[in-house]
Amino acid sequence: MSVQILLLIGLVLFSVAAVLLKDLIKAAICLAAASLVLGILFFRMGAPYAGAFEISVVAGLITVLFMLTIALTKTGGDVAESKLARVAFPLFFILFLAVDVIVTKNLVQKIVALPAAPEAGAFGEVLWKQRTLDLVGQVCIIFAGVLAVLALFRKRSKDNDD
Amino acid sequence: MTSTWVPYLIVAAGLLFAGIYCLLAMRNLIKLFIGVEIISKAVSLIIVATGFAKKNILVAQSLAVTFIVVEVSLVATALAIIINIYRHTKSLDIRKLSRLKG
Amino acid sequence: MVFLFVAVPLVVAGVLPLLGKLSKRVLPDILSNLTFLFLLVYAATAGRQIIAGGPVSQQILWFGEPVQILLGLDGLALFMLMAIALVSLCAGIFSIDYMEHYGAKANYYALFLIMVAGMNGLVLAKDLFQVYLFLEVAAVASYALVAYGLGYEELEAAFKYLLLSVVASAFVLIGVTVLFGLTGSLGFEAVGRGLQELPAGPMAALCAALFVAGFGLKAALIPFHAWLPDAHPSAPAPISAMLSGLLIKVSGIYALTRIFFSVFGLTSLLSNLLMGLGVISAVVAALLALGQKDIKRMLAYSSISQVGYIVLGIGLGTPLGILGGLFHLFNHALAKGLLFLTSGSVQMATGTRNLDEMGGLAKRMPWTAATNLVGSLSIAGVPPLGGFWSKLVIIMALVQAGRWPYAVIAVLASVLTLWYYLLIQRKAFFGKIEERWKDIREAPFWMTAATVILALLCIGVGIFFAAVLKSWVQPAADVLAQGVTAVIPRGR
Repeated sequence: MSVQILLLIGLVLFSVAAVLLKDLIKAAICLAAASLVLGILFFRMGAPYAGAFEISVVAGLITVLFMLTIALTKTGGDVAESKLARVAFPLFFILFLAVDVIVTKNLVQKIVALPAAPEAGAFGEVLWKQRTLDLVGQVCIIFAGVLAVLALFRKRSKDNDD
Repeated sequence: MTSTWVPYLIVAAGLLFAGIYCLLAMRNLIKLFIGVEIISKAVSLIIVATGFAKKNILVAQSLAVTFIVVEVSLVATALAIIINIYRHTKSLDIRKLSRLKG
Repeated sequence: MVFLFVAVPLVVAGVLPLLGKLSKRVLPDILSNLTFLFLLVYAATAGRQIIAGGPVSQQILWFGEPVQILLGLDGLALFMLMAIALVSLCAGIFSIDYMEHYGAKANYYALFLIMVAGMNGLVLAKDLFQVYLFLEVAAVASYALVAYGLGYEELEAAFKYLLLSVVASAFVLIGVTVLFGLTGSLGFEAVGRGLQELPAGPMAALCAALFVAGFGLKAALIPFHAWLPDAHPSAPAPISAMLSGLLIKVSGIYALTRIFFSVFGLTSLLSNLLMGLGVISAVVAALLALGQKDIKRMLAYSSISQVGYIVLGIGLGTPLGILGGLFHLFNHALAKGLLFLTSGSVQMATGTRNLDEMGGLAKRMPWTAATNLVGSLSIAGVPPLGGFWSKLVIIMALVQAGRWPYAVIAVLASVLTLWYYLLIQRKAFFGKIEERWKDIREAPFWMTAATVILALLCIGVGIFFAAVLKSWVQPAADVLAQGVTAVIPRGR
């Protein structure tokens, strides 16, 4: 359990760093590190496939996409973030966490949840046999993403209005 | 189940707050999208943690995998929009995006 | 096969970009409009027979392996499928001419079809997570479609829309997950049963709040509306028609109603909350619409206002209120689709969306002006058009339930609606024609055809409103009304 807590703290710290860091590349790397920690957490919670996806796709692929975007938009110069927002963030965050801890503990401890039906079979069975429509949805959303990127990077035939 | 659920819920709520704060306070388009990514992390954490606390990890895991696929699609679309905006303005500053009336 | 409603547009969308290499224009036009026509005919003919023996859920065999594709078709779902098919067919026909100068038609239609597949999937889903998933499918396609013009305004509006919409779907998914944690299941019925066994807890209330916020953002109810007046006007006209006519209703109102009626049950607190949001949206958005100069922006604000009406009717929760709300949803889908399409015709002919620059266009564009007038009068609630009857039913339901203040406000908001639609008519179409518009021409054939079909439908629904109500809207309202009576008496 204590390892879990440490991992959770690491996740929070990396995420906060991703918000606070000025340099976009460093922020993106912090985000990737947070994903890595999250992937390990998933693995320890008994979800190895989700963990592998989190590490390879989110920490890997999405970070690459971020880097690509940052590289393509590099010459734009720095965007001045407001100082106040940056300074105020840790304060707000700690305040929120304190409220969060109290509220969640009180909320959750009182409630009764129904016992779950015991699960049988393997992960593949569950995904392919029980939640097949999710796979159809995945196909839809992959199509949507691919077509969206194609549409956004198409050659504009006539009105090139830059 | 509830006592194992609590720390994850607390952390997920914290991440959600951090992400929304980032969306509200930051001005760089890519930074805004990092906020969106942090929100996604909160969501996927809460999915898997719920399955873990509930001993329903197989269903939760398949939900998490689907969610990650959704996330990738979303990121690709959003970054494509950001690059296109940059082509027009040569800047990533949200304040320059105020030609539309609020 | 209920699954066809999702599978057919998906497969056609997958094939289109490949065929688009062979024939850049004609083939995508024909194929995608045939798909929309198929969906319409299939919903109208097969759908009725499928649900004749009550709602169905289907399990499908794939290659001999039983897989779990659970889709539920009942009166409400069929009603929504019909509305989606009708408006998307007209928007598809309109696109034949309108999308010529945007280029990459195959890609455009493919995204359009994916959006339709997402909406159909959302309507048919019987599982909370799948509601989220198809919501996201339709949403991702719509971000790209809003940005389709690749102009500066479009991109900016799309980005703003994307950020708010991502937050909305995160709220929805967190709500779904917490419900999963409480009840251990995701199907509508199972979660509904589970919630009744649990003592009503603050966690369930938290989920309800998350859903109201998430779907409220998607439906652009008033405190959550900031993205809509940018996103809807910036999209190409047929897409504005789809977004305003359908997407906010399917991914906002339909999902909200389905979840609240068949999972939570409508408590009086929830009912009051929804009615409050509805009435605020109806009035405030109508006032905001009055001040707009941009014709599409005015129409967008009007959408928020009419969505407020629908939520007011459904949130009331009496059978008559639900009936009125759903009927208004249908009428608004037709009329707002029509109005956005005509605004597209005007924009194409004149190159502007500014109402102050227009004037006297009716002389040059008689069809567009006439169809626009029909749509305006229908939304404003002038008899005998469709919108009049649905508003009448909503107001009657409010009076019947003894909610006098709401009824009075609803009547006043409808007067405001009439006012700003007359403003459009006066500024754009009537009056003296300006010198610079002397030689504009009527919109091309397919664009006019699409608007005429929708205008005829608006008139037809108005004249035969009793038949439409009885055969299409009533079964849908019954589904929801049953949900209400089934859940509330067991006391939550």
